[in-house]
Amino acid sequence: MRMTFVVNGLSRTLDAPPLARLLDILRGPLGLTGTKEGCGEGECGSCTVLLDGVPVNACLVVAGQCDGRKILTVEGLASKDALSDLQEAFVKEGGAQCGICTPGVLMAAHALLAANPQPGEGEIRESIAGNICRCTGYQRIVESIRNAAKEQATREPG
Amino acid sequence: MALVGRSVPRADGPAKVTGTARYVDDLTRPGVLLGATLRSPVARGRLRGIRRDPSFDWTGVTVVTAEDVPVNVVALIEEDQPVLASDDIRHAYEPIALVAAEDPVRLARALRALTPEIDPLPPILTIADALGRKTQIHGPDNIFATYRISKGDAAKAIAESAVRLTGTYRTHHQEQLYIEPQGMLAFWDARGAHLVGSLQCPFYVHKGVMRTFSLDDAHVDVTQAVTGGGFGGKEEYPTLLALHALLLAKKSGRPVKMIYDRQEDIEATTKRHPCEVTISSGCDREGNLSAVSVRIVMDGGAYVTLTPVVLSRGALHAAGAYRWEHVAIEAIAVATNTPPNGAFRGFGAPQTIWAIERHMDRIARELSADPLALREKNLLRVGDTTPTGQFLKESVGVQRCVEEARKASGWDRKRAALGPAAVARPVSAILRRPAPGGSASRKARGIGASVFLHGAGFTGSGERKLKGRVAIDMFRILKEKKPRFTIRTASTDIGQGTETVFRQIAAEALWVSMDRVDFATPSTATVPDSGPTVASRTVMIVGSILESAARDLFARIEQNRQDHGGSFDDAALRLIARDGTIVSEKTYETPADLVWDDATYRGDAYPVFGWGCDIAEVEVDLDTFETTVIGFWVAQDVGKAINPVLCKGQIEGGTLQAIGWALNEKMVIQDGKILNARMTNYVVPTSLDAPRFTTILVEDPYSKGPGGGAKGIGEAPMDGGAPAIAAAIEHATGIVRDDLPLLPEDLFAAGRTGP
Amino acid sequence: MNPAELALYPFERPGTLAELCRTLSARAGRREKTVLLAGGTDWIVERRLAPAEDPNDLPLVLDVSRLPEMRGITVAKEVATIGAAATFLEIKSHAVLSRRVPVLTAMAREVGAVQIQARGTLGGNLAGASPAADGAAALMALDADVVLASIHGERRVPLTQFFTAYRTTRRAEDEVIVRVEFTLPRTGAHQVWRKVGTRAAQAISKVALAGVAEVERGRGVRSGFGMASVAPMTVSLPSVRALGLAPSLASVSDEELDAATRRDISPIDDLRSTAAYRAHVASALVKNFFRELRIAAGS
Repeated sequence: MRMTFVVNGLSRTLDAPPLARLLDILRGPLGLTGTKEGCGEGECGSCTVLLDGVPVNACLVVAGQCDGRKILTVEGLASKDALSDLQEAFVKEGGAQCGICTPGVLMAAHALLAANPQPGEGEIRESIAGNICRCTGYQRIVESIRNAAKEQATREPG
Repeated sequence: MALVGRSVPRADGPAKVTGTARYVDDLTRPGVLLGATLRSPVARGRLRGIRRDPSFDWTGVTVVTAEDVPVNVVALIEEDQPVLASDDIRHAYEPIALVAAEDPVRLARALRALTPEIDPLPPILTIADALGRKTQIHGPDNIFATYRISKGDAAKAIAESAVRLTGTYRTHHQEQLYIEPQGMLAFWDARGAHLVGSLQCPFYVHKGVMRTFSLDDAHVDVTQAVTGGGFGGKEEYPTLLALHALLLAKKSGRPVKMIYDRQEDIEATTKRHPCEVTISSGCDREGNLSAVSVRIVMDGGAYVTLTPVVLSRGALHAAGAYRWEHVAIEAIAVATNTPPNGAFRGFGAPQTIWAIERHMDRIARELSADPLALREKNLLRVGDTTPTGQFLKESVGVQRCVEEARKASGWDRKRAALGPAAVARPVSAILRRPAPGGSASRKARGIGASVFLHGAGFTGSGERKLKGRVAIDMFRILKEKKPRFTIRTASTDIGQGTETVFRQIAAEALWVSMDRVDFATPSTATVPDSGPTVASRTVMIVGSILESAARDLFARIEQNRQDHGGSFDDAALRLIARDGTIVSEKTYETPADLVWDDATYRGDAYPVFGWGCDIAEVEVDLDTFETTVIGFWVAQDVGKAINPVLCKGQIEGGTLQAIGWALNEKMVIQDGKILNARMTNYVVPTSLDAPRFTTILVEDPYSKGPGGGAKGIGEAPMDGGAPAIAAAIEHATGIVRDDLPLLPEDLFAAGRTGP
Repeated sequence: MNPAELALYPFERPGTLAELCRTLSARAGRREKTVLLAGGTDWIVERRLAPAEDPNDLPLVLDVSRLPEMRGITVAKEVATIGAAATFLEIKSHAVLSRRVPVLTAMAREVGAVQIQARGTLGGNLAGASPAADGAAALMALDADVVLASIHGERRVPLTQFFTAYRTTRRAEDEVIVRVEFTLPRTGAHQVWRKVGTRAAQAISKVALAGVAEVERGRGVRSGFGMASVAPMTVSLPSVRALGLAPSLASVSDEELDAATRRDISPIDDLRSTAAYRAHVASALVKNFFRELRIAAGS
């Protein structure tokens, strides 16, 4: 099936089996290996990407359902010359350890801050509850997101 | 420079947050095939053969069986485990054959076209059956290893004590559940065997490959890919996977990549050893401990793997962080027909510390004493000796840990205000306790504590035998005006932050900025053998070798500067101009005063211990028996925190693994098969299950630790979480649990039957 | 099967409900297998566990996730209509539902986590007929109707009668669930969602209770329940419902509630929990519901 997605702002057209998993399309033909597979059944959240701005598990989304839609992956978070506030905070505050869950956590957190720039701790924890991290105990992740929100607020007052 | 002690940003952070860090599944090679494993469906049996479906088109499919394995052993402590089973099947999921094909669909079909033909035999599935010798599955007695530790006369001292108590405490399997499944990429060329994989210990894999393929070390190259967590699960297991991938690569003549599916990973790879511990103790009415006798039995699973070392560490921690004049410890590991158990953060200590901490609560209950005060009264101090007779010379920060955790958690106030007294009461009352007025939900709060120690580095004479090495290179890139440095070590960063902390240590010792120090990708072809990334030894032992290598290098440069003038950089560049790349390599020197006797288990079991105190506050729903951890305080003596943010990250992550072990995780095994080998039913904590941690770093420096006294910290956080939670549940509800886990069903059942 | 094998399955995206119904009818007539795919959060996971299918006889997968007739949430004349392809995230975020039907909002918030909520749909939840389906339990408490469409038109089945056995429903091969409808509880109705799962999020229910009750002068006038994971199907707790309509709620005893709960459920031991625990928790949740209801009604 011929399909077109807008991936990280770029329109990409390809021929792919319609029931191929979005995860395999991203990691294979599109070469975007930043999105990780941890369980293949929507439990760990490592493969979280944003589909039209909403976090989904790319292991449970079939390519044919994405035709004509927008996809944001971890490769699309940084600008050409700078990490995003979230990425920066994860590096500084210990939000990433082994890093395998990190792309997925970042995507969930990115969606949260887009909808809710000043989340409370409970909201932060709820927003990443679908992302299993076995390294951090989550606390440094929560701190990273909180700090990124603060950083954003100082940058964009009001 | 003051780099040590500062929370510098993670060196590998930018690659990890942008998705450019390359894990093994992100790598490929031209012509790569995918590999998969045919496994035993039964726990024990005899393999008669492997049937290949004749109607399947086998073109382009490579099949490897035991006949293809040059030397069919996995070289670990013993060589009892075959790379592929040839006749005896000793556990479910045991590898029987390997398949490689071009694409995953062909691969899946080829795997289905192979059927193992096995005559099943009755398996041994429990510790009791193994000890009862229901069937003989290993040696004459189904026993892998036995250790004994003794000090004084425990039996006599217990008999003479005013308060004598005995309890049996059990712990269950635990899956590491690193989020990146095991994976390996293998290929052969004129230079021999090459592997790139997700692993902790490149030289373990190296040794196994040399043995199985009869290669010398120059013809084996093992490289670590960025590794998505290990926790011990990628200590010994990757050797087997590497051998599998190499066998397929050899036979097919193509590169082969094997990436485990999550279910396969949970089913087939190693787990934490289940354990039963019986403790008898004697003390006086005031709670002064005198004697303890401990019997430990661990379930090793089907093959030896690292079981003797796990058992040894368990035994060495079994008396806890307390002074006992008389100690008798006996530890046994048995064989069962379950998947081999192996390394997992804590390495035997969490099991025995669970037991001793629950036993301390038992004593407190009996004496109506405050459980933390009872512990405090008996803490080891500088000048005391441990059960092996080790004299504690320094860095015993446990008292401060207890004080800090007690204060931060509000222990005294909460202990008095929450829960019933620390005295058992009829638990059937829980089910009838009325709801408070105006609310329908019935919840109880409680607070509990644990105190723990963790031997940092290898046990006994391990380091002396290993002689770990680290190198630091100094070189110049083209016309740059300053030299650069590269750390070469086999210590891997699997998330703990080795790359960052090692750069801090080296840069500080060299008086240069961190951005001039690189960390070489660990590859056995290019780095010296620093020993495995295990046993909380990376920063303390390997970091100290690195510090010493860097200091040596600094001294050489400084000497040149004094002799010939100019700046530090001028001197460094002069050295490089004269000799080319300057290599400073050092070998670990075990402190001369460390003495250990393997035969008697006497002496200095560890160079030093890490110490800690955990305090948990929980809320238990008295209708559903769900436990919510509403606060958690950890104070841990780390010697010196090289990077406080990374250090806290280790402590919090390890503690949550311990909390998960207690409250969520439970491996359901039936007929030797795991029924819940999925992330949907092997349940680990989410961000909403995790408490907010208050993490207090206590620094009581170790004189030989790098950076001014760092000790091992990685494993200790796994030790205290479970018993602190159990104690808090007991305080909240009166339900006393001596066995893990503490799932709602377990508390409910205990609440109904009573203690 | 290996998920890579999904790539072999044929896939079509019908443009309208009528076209979907025609395809369903034709294929049912020829006894050809068809899969209706919305969010895929169950079906794709189940493929991994299922044995591989004959590559020459794979089902046709029809994408129903974007059919306009199956999307959207509307509330009009005190009736809520939720498209079968509406996601849990859409339900959770719906302002009117969260005001008038908090039982549904609370349920949607506790399905998986946001990634699953963004994909999972009510239609899939009902069609899958898992006894652990949280959506089914909440809708049952609301006495929702399931509206099915086929080439013969629409028909409506009360959710309390929709499930016929473990993972079996009254939906015929040639039918599709297009929407659910229910009468809004009155403002001030007592609504409870209580999920006891394997952990705080991303969990499957061990027991979950949805309850909706209205009381007039101490007398129960609306009483709806749905309970997950305590029987082969989602249960509506008929005996408990009867007690919820008692002329005097104050006189309903805990013993009566225990007995009614016991009659209405048949829990089992499985990987997630035990029969004894489930029976205990089911009773406790029911009693808590009535206790809160009495407190709410009494004040």
